[in-house]
Amino acid sequence: MKLPASLYSRRAFLNGLIGGWLAALGAAFISPFVKYIVPPTREPDQVSVPLADYQDMAPHTVKGFAWGNKPGFLKRSEAGDYVAFVGVCTHLDCNITFIAEQRRFFCACHEGWYDEDGLNVAGPPPAPLRRLAVSVEGDALIVKRPG
Amino acid sequence: MSSLRAWIEDRLGLRPVAAFLAKKEVPCHTHTFLYYTGSSVLLFLGIQIVTGVLLALYYQPTLAEANASVVRIITEMPLGWLVRSVHSWSATFMIAAVFVHLLGIAFTKAYRKPREATWLSGVLLLACSLAFGFTGYLLPWDELSLAATKVGTNLPKALPLVGTFLTQVLRAGEDVTGDTLSRFFIMHVSVLPLALLAILGLHVFLVQRHGMSVPLDAERDKLELPAIPFWPNFFFREAAVWLVLLGVLLTIAVFAAPGLGPQADLMAPAPEGIKPEWYFLFMFQTLKLFPARILGLNGELVAVLIMMAGMAAVLLVPFIDNRPFERKGKVVTALAWAGLAYAVGMSIWSLL
Repeated sequence: MKLPASLYSRRAFLNGLIGGWLAALGAAFISPFVKYIVPPTREPDQVSVPLADYQDMAPHTVKGFAWGNKPGFLKRSEAGDYVAFVGVCTHLDCNITFIAEQRRFFCACHEGWYDEDGLNVAGPPPAPLRRLAVSVEGDALIVKRPG
Repeated sequence: MSSLRAWIEDRLGLRPVAAFLAKKEVPCHTHTFLYYTGSSVLLFLGIQIVTGVLLALYYQPTLAEANASVVRIITEMPLGWLVRSVHSWSATFMIAAVFVHLLGIAFTKAYRKPREATWLSGVLLLACSLAFGFTGYLLPWDELSLAATKVGTNLPKALPLVGTFLTQVLRAGEDVTGDTLSRFFIMHVSVLPLALLAILGLHVFLVQRHGMSVPLDAERDKLELPAIPFWPNFFFREAAVWLVLLGVLLTIAVFAAPGLGPQADLMAPAPEGIKPEWYFLFMFQTLKLFPARILGLNGELVAVLIMMAGMAAVLLVPFIDNRPFERKGKVVTALAWAGLAYAVGMSIWSLL
Protein backbone atom coordinates (compact mmCIF):
# COMPACT_ATOMS: atom_id res chain seq x y z
CA MET A 1 0.00 0.00 0.00
CA LYS A 2 1.28 3.43 -0.83
CA LEU A 3 0.33 6.41 1.28
CA PRO A 4 0.01 9.75 -0.45
CA ALA A 5 2.06 11.37 2.30
CA SER A 6 4.22 9.79 4.95
CA LEU A 7 2.99 10.00 8.52
CA TYR A 8 6.57 10.24 9.64
CA SER A 9 8.61 12.78 7.77
CA ARG A 10 12.06 12.00 6.49
CA ARG A 11 13.44 14.79 8.64
CA ALA A 12 11.86 13.44 11.83
CA PHE A 13 13.16 9.96 11.00
CA LEU A 14 16.72 11.17 10.40
CA ASN A 15 16.65 13.39 13.49
CA GLY A 16 15.53 10.44 15.58
CA LEU A 17 18.13 8.16 14.06
CA ILE A 18 21.04 10.58 14.45
CA GLY A 19 19.82 11.65 17.88
CA GLY A 20 19.69 8.02 18.92
CA TRP A 21 23.21 7.46 17.64
CA LEU A 22 24.48 10.50 19.49
CA ALA A 23 22.77 9.36 22.69
CA ALA A 24 24.34 5.91 22.33
CA LEU A 25 27.73 7.50 21.67
CA GLY A 26 27.30 9.72 24.72
CA ALA A 27 26.35 6.73 26.86
CA ALA A 28 29.43 4.89 25.58
CA PHE A 29 31.59 7.81 26.68
CA ILE A 30 29.92 8.16 30.07
CA SER A 31 29.83 4.47 31.03
CA PRO A 32 33.59 4.22 31.81
CA PHE A 33 33.23 7.15 34.24
CA VAL A 34 30.31 5.47 35.97
CA LYS A 35 32.35 2.28 36.25
CA TYR A 36 35.43 4.12 37.45
CA ILE A 37 33.82 5.94 40.36
CA VAL A 38 32.98 2.75 42.30
CA PRO A 39 36.10 0.84 43.31
CA PRO A 40 35.94 -2.95 43.79
CA THR A 41 34.71 -4.22 47.15
CA ARG A 42 37.32 -5.02 49.74
CA GLU A 43 35.48 -7.34 52.09
CA PRO A 44 37.70 -10.36 52.72
CA ASP A 45 36.61 -13.92 51.86
CA GLN A 46 38.19 -15.16 55.04
CA VAL A 47 40.29 -13.98 57.94
CA SER A 48 42.65 -16.02 60.07
CA VAL A 49 43.34 -15.14 63.71
CA PRO A 50 45.64 -16.97 66.16
CA LEU A 51 43.64 -19.43 68.26
CA ALA A 52 45.86 -18.70 71.27
CA ASP A 53 44.37 -15.19 71.59
CA TYR A 54 40.84 -16.56 71.90
CA GLN A 55 41.38 -19.88 73.71
CA ASP A 56 40.99 -18.53 77.21
CA MET A 57 37.64 -16.83 76.65
CA ALA A 58 34.96 -17.76 79.16
CA PRO A 59 31.49 -18.71 77.81
CA HIS A 60 29.28 -15.69 76.96
CA THR A 61 32.23 -13.38 76.51
CA VAL A 62 33.06 -11.50 73.36
CA LYS A 63 36.35 -10.43 71.83
CA GLY A 64 36.97 -8.29 68.78
CA PHE A 65 38.89 -9.10 65.62
CA ALA A 66 39.45 -7.30 62.31
CA TRP A 67 37.09 -8.35 59.54
CA GLY A 68 38.90 -6.54 56.74
CA ASN A 69 38.48 -2.87 57.60
CA LYS A 70 35.39 -3.49 59.71
CA PRO A 71 35.21 -4.62 63.30
CA GLY A 72 34.21 -8.23 63.94
CA PHE A 73 33.21 -9.94 67.18
CA LEU A 74 33.95 -13.52 68.25
CA LYS A 75 31.67 -14.93 70.93
CA ARG A 76 32.30 -18.06 72.96
CA SER A 77 29.11 -20.06 73.43
CA GLU A 78 28.09 -22.17 76.43
CA ALA A 79 29.38 -25.32 74.68
CA GLY A 80 32.73 -23.68 73.93
CA ASP A 81 32.17 -23.07 70.21
CA TYR A 82 32.90 -19.77 68.57
CA VAL A 83 30.33 -17.59 66.85
CA ALA A 84 31.40 -14.61 64.76
CA PHE A 85 29.51 -11.44 63.86
CA VAL A 86 30.31 -8.46 61.68
CA GLY A 87 30.33 -5.63 64.22
CA VAL A 88 28.33 -3.23 62.08
CA CYS A 89 24.78 -2.16 62.90
CA THR A 90 22.23 -3.32 60.34
CA HIS A 91 20.33 -0.05 60.69
CA LEU A 92 22.71 2.59 59.33
CA ASP A 93 26.15 0.96 59.38
CA CYS A 94 27.61 2.34 62.61
CA ASN A 95 30.18 0.23 64.45
CA ILE A 96 28.62 -1.47 67.46
CA THR A 97 30.06 -2.34 70.85
CA PHE A 98 29.49 -5.26 73.25
CA ILE A 99 28.28 -4.35 76.71
CA ALA A 100 29.52 -7.23 78.83
CA GLU A 101 27.36 -6.56 81.94
CA GLN A 102 24.17 -6.73 79.89
CA ARG A 103 25.44 -9.36 77.45
CA ARG A 104 24.10 -7.26 74.61
CA PHE A 105 25.49 -5.45 71.61
CA PHE A 106 24.77 -1.72 71.48
CA CYS A 107 24.84 0.82 68.64
CA ALA A 108 25.31 4.35 69.95
CA CYS A 109 24.19 6.10 66.76
CA HIS A 110 20.45 5.53 67.08
CA GLU A 111 20.34 3.37 70.20
CA GLY A 112 19.97 -0.06 68.64
CA TRP A 113 20.32 -3.24 70.73
CA TYR A 114 21.15 -6.84 69.81
CA ASP A 115 21.28 -9.80 72.18
CA GLU A 116 24.42 -11.90 72.51
CA ASP A 117 23.31 -14.07 69.59
CA GLY A 118 23.13 -11.01 67.35
CA LEU A 119 19.34 -10.81 67.29
CA ASN A 120 17.97 -7.27 66.97
CA VAL A 121 15.98 -6.83 70.18
CA ALA A 122 15.39 -3.09 70.54
CA GLY A 123 15.64 0.21 68.71
CA PRO A 124 15.64 0.77 64.97
CA PRO A 125 17.79 -2.15 63.65
CA PRO A 126 15.73 -4.03 61.05
CA ALA A 127 17.75 -7.27 60.99
CA PRO A 128 20.08 -9.42 63.13
CA LEU A 129 23.84 -8.88 62.97
CA ARG A 130 25.57 -10.56 60.03
CA ARG A 131 26.99 -13.91 61.08
CA LEU A 132 30.25 -15.39 59.86
CA ALA A 133 31.31 -19.03 59.85
CA VAL A 134 34.12 -19.99 62.27
CA SER A 135 36.27 -23.09 62.21
CA VAL A 136 39.39 -24.16 64.13
CA GLU A 137 42.23 -25.22 61.89
CA GLY A 138 45.44 -26.12 63.70
CA ASP A 139 46.46 -23.15 65.80
CA ALA A 140 44.27 -20.67 63.94
CA LEU A 141 40.65 -19.62 63.92
CA ILE A 142 39.38 -19.23 60.38
CA VAL A 143 36.47 -16.79 59.96
CA LYS A 144 34.71 -17.04 56.64
CA ARG A 145 31.71 -15.59 54.91
CA PRO A 146 28.96 -18.16 55.35
CA GLY A 147 27.96 -20.38 52.45
CA MET B 1 42.81 57.06 32.85
CA SER B 2 39.79 57.90 30.75
CA SER B 3 41.52 56.56 27.63
CA LEU B 4 42.15 53.27 29.48
CA ARG B 5 38.48 53.19 30.45
CA ALA B 6 37.49 53.85 26.84
CA TRP B 7 39.82 51.07 25.69
CA ILE B 8 38.24 48.58 28.09
CA GLU B 9 34.73 49.72 27.17
CA ASP B 10 35.61 49.22 23.50
CA ARG B 11 36.66 45.63 24.14
CA LEU B 12 34.02 44.55 26.66
CA GLY B 13 31.02 46.80 25.92
CA LEU B 14 29.76 46.76 29.50
CA ARG B 15 28.03 50.15 29.42
CA PRO B 16 24.49 48.70 29.43
CA VAL B 17 25.32 46.67 32.54
CA ALA B 18 26.75 49.71 34.31
CA ALA B 19 23.73 51.76 33.24
CA PHE B 20 21.41 49.08 34.61
CA LEU B 21 23.21 49.02 37.97
CA ALA B 22 23.22 52.83 38.17
CA LYS B 23 19.46 52.92 37.58
CA LYS B 24 18.58 49.90 39.75
CA GLU B 25 16.13 50.74 42.51
CA VAL B 26 15.07 48.87 45.60
CA PRO B 27 11.42 49.22 46.66
CA CYS B 28 10.73 50.17 50.28
CA HIS B 29 7.94 48.38 52.18
CA THR B 30 7.36 46.25 55.28
CA HIS B 31 9.27 43.29 53.82
CA THR B 32 12.31 45.21 52.63
CA PHE B 33 14.42 43.66 55.41
CA LEU B 34 14.13 40.31 53.60
CA TYR B 35 16.22 41.75 50.77
CA TYR B 36 19.21 41.71 53.13
CA THR B 37 19.02 37.94 53.65
CA GLY B 38 20.32 37.14 50.17
CA SER B 39 23.32 39.43 50.45
CA SER B 40 24.06 38.00 53.92
CA VAL B 41 24.38 34.57 52.31
CA LEU B 42 26.82 36.11 49.82
CA LEU B 43 28.89 37.56 52.66
CA PHE B 44 29.24 34.18 54.37
CA LEU B 45 29.93 32.48 51.05
CA GLY B 46 32.78 34.92 50.44
CA ILE B 47 34.18 34.20 53.91
CA GLN B 48 33.90 30.46 53.24
CA ILE B 49 35.87 30.78 50.00
CA VAL B 50 38.68 32.81 51.57
CA THR B 51 39.00 30.73 54.78
CA GLY B 52 38.52 27.51 52.79
CA VAL B 53 41.47 28.33 50.54
CA LEU B 54 43.55 29.17 53.63
CA LEU B 55 42.69 25.85 55.29
CA ALA B 56 43.47 23.92 52.11
CA LEU B 57 47.02 25.33 52.17
CA TYR B 58 47.87 22.97 55.05
CA TYR B 59 45.10 20.36 55.11
CA GLN B 60 45.97 16.87 53.85
CA PRO B 61 43.07 14.65 52.81
CA THR B 62 44.52 11.25 53.63
CA LEU B 63 43.65 8.59 56.18
CA ALA B 64 46.95 9.01 58.00
CA GLU B 65 47.28 12.77 57.85
CA ALA B 66 43.80 14.33 57.84
CA ASN B 67 43.24 14.56 61.59
CA ALA B 68 46.90 15.34 62.27
CA SER B 69 46.95 18.13 59.69
CA VAL B 70 43.90 19.77 61.30
CA VAL B 71 45.66 19.52 64.68
CA ARG B 72 48.66 21.18 63.04
CA ILE B 73 46.49 23.95 61.60
CA ILE B 74 44.90 24.78 64.94
CA THR B 75 47.98 24.40 67.12
CA GLU B 76 50.97 25.44 65.02
CA MET B 77 49.86 27.71 62.22
CA PRO B 78 49.69 31.41 63.14
CA LEU B 79 45.98 32.17 63.74
CA GLY B 80 45.15 28.76 62.27
CA TRP B 81 42.66 28.11 65.07
CA LEU B 82 40.84 31.31 64.13
CA VAL B 83 40.74 30.49 60.41
CA ARG B 84 39.24 27.07 61.17
CA SER B 85 36.83 28.51 63.72
CA VAL B 86 35.63 31.18 61.29
CA HIS B 87 35.24 28.59 58.51
CA SER B 88 33.19 26.37 60.81
CA TRP B 89 31.01 29.15 62.25
CA SER B 90 30.56 30.89 58.93
CA ALA B 91 29.26 27.59 57.53
CA THR B 92 26.65 27.54 60.28
CA PHE B 93 25.78 31.20 59.69
CA MET B 94 25.55 30.64 55.94
CA ILE B 95 23.16 27.70 56.28
CA ALA B 96 21.09 29.72 58.77
CA ALA B 97 21.01 32.68 56.36
CA VAL B 98 20.00 30.37 53.51
CA PHE B 99 17.10 29.03 55.60
CA VAL B 100 15.95 32.53 56.60
CA HIS B 101 16.19 33.64 52.96
CA LEU B 102 14.13 30.63 51.84
CA LEU B 103 11.50 31.01 54.56
CA GLY B 104 11.16 34.73 53.93
CA ILE B 105 10.45 34.03 50.28
CA ALA B 106 8.10 31.17 51.11
CA PHE B 107 6.01 33.31 53.46
CA THR B 108 5.88 36.38 51.21
CA LYS B 109 5.03 34.19 48.18
CA ALA B 110 7.85 35.74 46.19
CA TYR B 111 8.33 32.47 44.29
CA ARG B 112 5.26 32.93 42.11
CA LYS B 113 5.28 33.64 38.41
CA PRO B 114 7.60 34.86 36.91
CA ARG B 115 10.07 33.84 39.64
CA GLU B 116 9.63 30.05 39.57
CA ALA B 117 13.07 29.50 38.02
CA THR B 118 14.64 31.77 40.64
CA TRP B 119 13.07 29.59 43.35
CA LEU B 120 14.21 26.37 41.66
CA SER B 121 17.80 27.60 41.38
CA GLY B 122 17.59 28.76 45.00
CA VAL B 123 16.52 25.32 46.21
CA LEU B 124 19.43 23.83 44.23
CA LEU B 125 21.72 26.29 46.02
CA LEU B 126 20.28 25.11 49.35
CA ALA B 127 21.07 21.53 48.31
CA CYS B 128 24.62 22.61 47.39
CA SER B 129 25.04 24.33 50.76
CA LEU B 130 23.87 21.24 52.66
CA ALA B 131 26.20 19.07 50.54
CA PHE B 132 29.05 21.44 51.46
CA GLY B 133 28.17 21.01 55.11
CA PHE B 134 27.92 17.23 54.84
CA THR B 135 31.20 16.75 52.97
CA GLY B 136 33.05 19.30 55.09
CA TYR B 137 31.95 17.61 58.32
CA LEU B 138 33.99 14.49 57.46
CA LEU B 139 37.25 16.28 56.63
CA PRO B 140 38.60 16.69 60.22
CA TRP B 141 38.36 12.87 60.34
CA ASP B 142 37.47 12.48 63.98
CA GLU B 143 35.23 9.90 65.65
CA LEU B 144 32.05 11.94 65.36
CA SER B 145 32.52 12.88 61.74
CA LEU B 146 33.18 9.26 60.76
CA ALA B 147 30.02 8.01 62.50
CA ALA B 148 27.90 10.82 61.03
CA THR B 149 29.22 10.10 57.55
CA LYS B 150 28.54 6.38 57.89
CA VAL B 151 24.92 7.10 58.77
CA GLY B 152 24.44 9.77 56.12
CA THR B 153 25.93 7.77 53.27
CA ASN B 154 23.98 4.68 54.29
CA LEU B 155 20.62 6.42 53.87
CA PRO B 156 20.32 6.11 50.06
CA LYS B 157 20.82 2.35 50.44
CA ALA B 158 17.21 2.04 51.58
CA LEU B 159 16.01 3.08 48.11
CA PRO B 160 15.12 0.28 45.72
CA LEU B 161 17.14 -0.33 42.51
CA VAL B 162 19.61 2.58 42.63
CA GLY B 163 20.15 2.76 46.41
CA THR B 164 23.16 0.47 46.75
CA PHE B 165 24.87 2.07 43.77
CA LEU B 166 24.32 5.59 45.16
CA THR B 167 25.82 4.60 48.51
CA GLN B 168 28.82 3.06 46.74
CA VAL B 169 29.33 6.23 44.72
CA LEU B 170 29.18 8.38 47.86
CA ARG B 171 31.50 6.13 49.84
CA ALA B 172 33.85 4.94 47.13
CA GLY B 173 32.86 1.34 47.75
CA GLU B 174 30.99 -0.63 50.37
CA ASP B 175 32.41 1.14 53.39
CA VAL B 176 33.58 4.53 54.55
CA THR B 177 37.39 4.45 54.11
CA GLY B 178 40.27 6.68 53.15
CA ASP B 179 38.87 6.74 49.61
CA THR B 180 35.69 8.31 50.99
CA LEU B 181 37.80 11.05 52.54
CA SER B 182 39.53 11.82 49.21
CA ARG B 183 36.17 11.83 47.50
CA PHE B 184 34.55 14.16 50.02
CA PHE B 185 37.55 16.49 49.87
CA ILE B 186 37.45 16.86 46.09
CA MET B 187 33.66 17.34 46.20
CA HIS B 188 34.05 19.97 48.91
CA VAL B 189 36.83 21.98 47.26
CA SER B 190 36.22 21.49 43.55
CA VAL B 191 32.98 19.93 42.34
CA LEU B 192 30.57 21.69 44.70
CA PRO B 193 32.20 25.13 44.36
CA LEU B 194 31.97 24.94 40.56
CA ALA B 195 28.34 23.83 40.73
CA LEU B 196 27.46 26.44 43.34
CA LEU B 197 29.05 29.32 41.45
CA ALA B 198 27.33 28.31 38.20
CA ILE B 199 23.89 28.06 39.82
CA LEU B 200 24.51 31.22 41.84
CA GLY B 201 25.30 33.10 38.62
CA LEU B 202 21.97 32.02 37.19
CA HIS B 203 20.16 32.84 40.46
CA VAL B 204 21.54 36.39 40.69
CA PHE B 205 20.92 36.98 36.99
CA LEU B 206 17.27 35.91 37.41
CA VAL B 207 16.84 38.21 40.41
CA GLN B 208 18.04 41.14 38.28
CA ARG B 209 15.97 40.02 35.30
CA HIS B 210 12.66 39.93 37.20
CA GLY B 211 13.38 42.74 39.64
CA MET B 212 12.71 42.63 43.36
CA SER B 213 9.48 41.01 44.45
CA VAL B 214 7.01 43.30 46.27
CA PRO B 215 4.20 42.48 48.73
CA LEU B 216 1.06 40.94 47.28
CA ASP B 217 -1.33 43.86 47.88
CA ALA B 218 1.10 46.29 46.29
CA GLU B 219 1.34 44.02 43.27
CA ARG B 220 -2.43 43.46 43.03
CA ASP B 221 -3.38 47.14 43.38
CA LYS B 222 -0.45 48.22 41.20
CA LEU B 223 0.70 50.52 44.00
CA GLU B 224 3.62 52.80 43.28
CA LEU B 225 6.00 51.95 46.14
CA PRO B 226 8.65 54.37 47.32
CA ALA B 227 12.13 53.23 46.28
CA ILE B 228 15.75 54.03 46.99
CA PRO B 229 18.63 53.72 44.52
CA PHE B 230 20.62 50.48 44.83
CA TRP B 231 23.86 52.41 44.40
CA PRO B 232 24.89 53.86 46.74
CA ASN B 233 21.95 54.04 49.22
CA PHE B 234 20.94 50.40 49.47
CA PHE B 235 24.47 49.13 49.04
CA PHE B 236 25.66 51.09 52.07
CA ARG B 237 22.78 49.75 54.14
CA GLU B 238 23.83 46.25 53.13
CA ALA B 239 27.41 47.08 54.03
CA ALA B 240 26.22 48.10 57.52
CA VAL B 241 24.42 44.76 57.91
CA TRP B 242 27.56 42.95 56.73
CA LEU B 243 29.70 44.72 59.31
CA VAL B 244 27.34 43.74 62.13
CA LEU B 245 27.22 40.11 60.95
CA LEU B 246 31.00 40.03 60.57
CA GLY B 247 31.38 41.34 64.11
CA VAL B 248 29.01 38.72 65.53
CA LEU B 249 30.71 35.96 63.52
CA LEU B 250 34.22 36.89 64.64
CA THR B 251 33.18 37.27 68.26
CA ILE B 252 31.61 33.82 68.33
CA ALA B 253 34.53 32.33 66.38
CA VAL B 254 37.04 33.70 68.88
CA PHE B 255 35.17 32.66 72.01
CA ALA B 256 33.71 29.34 70.82
CA ALA B 257 36.26 27.68 68.57
CA PRO B 258 35.11 24.19 67.55
CA GLY B 259 36.90 21.26 69.13
CA LEU B 260 38.45 18.28 67.43
CA GLY B 261 37.79 14.70 68.51
CA PRO B 262 40.30 11.86 68.51
CA GLN B 263 41.33 10.58 65.09
CA ALA B 264 38.67 8.38 63.49
CA ASP B 265 39.28 4.65 63.86
CA LEU B 266 37.48 2.48 61.32
CA MET B 267 37.39 -0.39 63.83
CA ALA B 268 36.21 1.50 66.91
CA PRO B 269 32.58 1.43 68.04
CA ALA B 270 30.56 4.55 67.31
CA PRO B 271 31.01 7.10 70.11
CA GLU B 272 28.10 7.73 72.49
CA GLY B 273 25.86 10.69 71.81
CA ILE B 274 26.68 11.24 68.17
CA LYS B 275 24.97 14.21 66.61
CA PRO B 276 25.09 15.56 63.10
CA GLU B 277 25.34 19.29 62.35
CA TRP B 278 22.35 21.21 63.74
CA TYR B 279 20.69 21.54 60.32
CA PHE B 280 20.46 17.76 59.99
CA LEU B 281 19.19 17.21 63.55
CA PHE B 282 15.50 16.95 62.64
CA MET B 283 16.27 14.22 60.10
CA PHE B 284 18.49 12.47 62.65
CA GLN B 285 15.69 12.50 65.23
CA THR B 286 13.17 11.27 62.65
CA LEU B 287 15.42 8.31 61.81
CA LYS B 288 15.82 7.49 65.48
CA LEU B 289 12.05 7.37 65.99
CA PHE B 290 11.14 5.27 63.00
CA PRO B 291 10.64 1.62 63.93
CA ALA B 292 12.35 -1.12 61.93
CA ARG B 293 9.18 -2.10 60.09
CA ILE B 294 6.05 -0.14 59.22
CA LEU B 295 3.09 -1.97 57.64
CA GLY B 296 5.50 -4.63 56.41
CA LEU B 297 7.82 -2.07 54.82
CA ASN B 298 11.37 -1.25 55.82
CA GLY B 299 11.05 1.66 58.31
CA GLU B 300 14.19 3.31 56.99
CA LEU B 301 12.82 3.25 53.45
CA VAL B 302 9.60 4.89 54.64
CA ALA B 303 11.59 7.58 56.47
CA VAL B 304 13.78 8.25 53.43
CA LEU B 305 10.76 8.39 51.11
CA ILE B 306 8.95 10.85 53.41
CA MET B 307 12.04 13.09 53.50
CA MET B 308 12.36 12.92 49.71
CA ALA B 309 8.69 13.81 49.32
CA GLY B 310 9.24 16.79 51.62
CA MET B 311 12.20 17.98 49.54
CA ALA B 312 10.27 17.52 46.29
CA ALA B 313 7.40 19.55 47.75
CA VAL B 314 9.79 22.39 48.66
CA LEU B 315 11.30 22.29 45.17
CA LEU B 316 7.91 22.37 43.44
CA VAL B 317 6.16 24.96 45.64
CA PRO B 318 5.87 27.53 42.80
CA PHE B 319 4.02 25.00 40.68
CA ILE B 320 1.72 23.88 43.50
CA ASP B 321 0.83 27.40 44.64
CA ASN B 322 0.57 28.92 41.17
CA ARG B 323 -2.47 31.20 41.47
CA PRO B 324 -2.03 34.38 43.47
CA PHE B 325 -4.75 35.66 45.83
CA GLU B 326 -6.37 32.25 46.28
CA ARG B 327 -6.79 29.74 49.09
CA LYS B 328 -3.90 27.55 47.94
CA GLY B 329 -1.48 30.23 49.10
CA LYS B 330 -2.87 30.01 52.63
CA VAL B 331 -2.57 26.21 52.59
CA VAL B 332 1.07 26.48 51.54
CA THR B 333 1.72 29.06 54.26
CA ALA B 334 0.13 26.74 56.84
CA LEU B 335 2.21 23.81 55.57
CA ALA B 336 5.38 25.92 55.68
CA TRP B 337 4.65 26.83 59.33
CA ALA B 338 3.91 23.18 60.09
CA GLY B 339 7.17 22.07 58.44
CA LEU B 340 9.12 24.72 60.32
CA ALA B 341 7.49 23.73 63.62
CA TYR B 342 8.29 20.08 62.92
CA ALA B 343 11.95 20.80 62.12
CA VAL B 344 12.42 23.04 65.16
CA GLY B 345 10.51 20.66 67.46
CA MET B 346 12.43 17.59 66.33
CA SER B 347 15.78 19.42 66.60
CA ILE B 348 15.02 20.50 70.18
CA TRP B 349 13.83 17.00 71.06
CA SER B 350 17.06 15.48 69.73
CA LEU B 351 19.06 17.76 72.03
CA LEU B 352 17.16 16.76 75.17
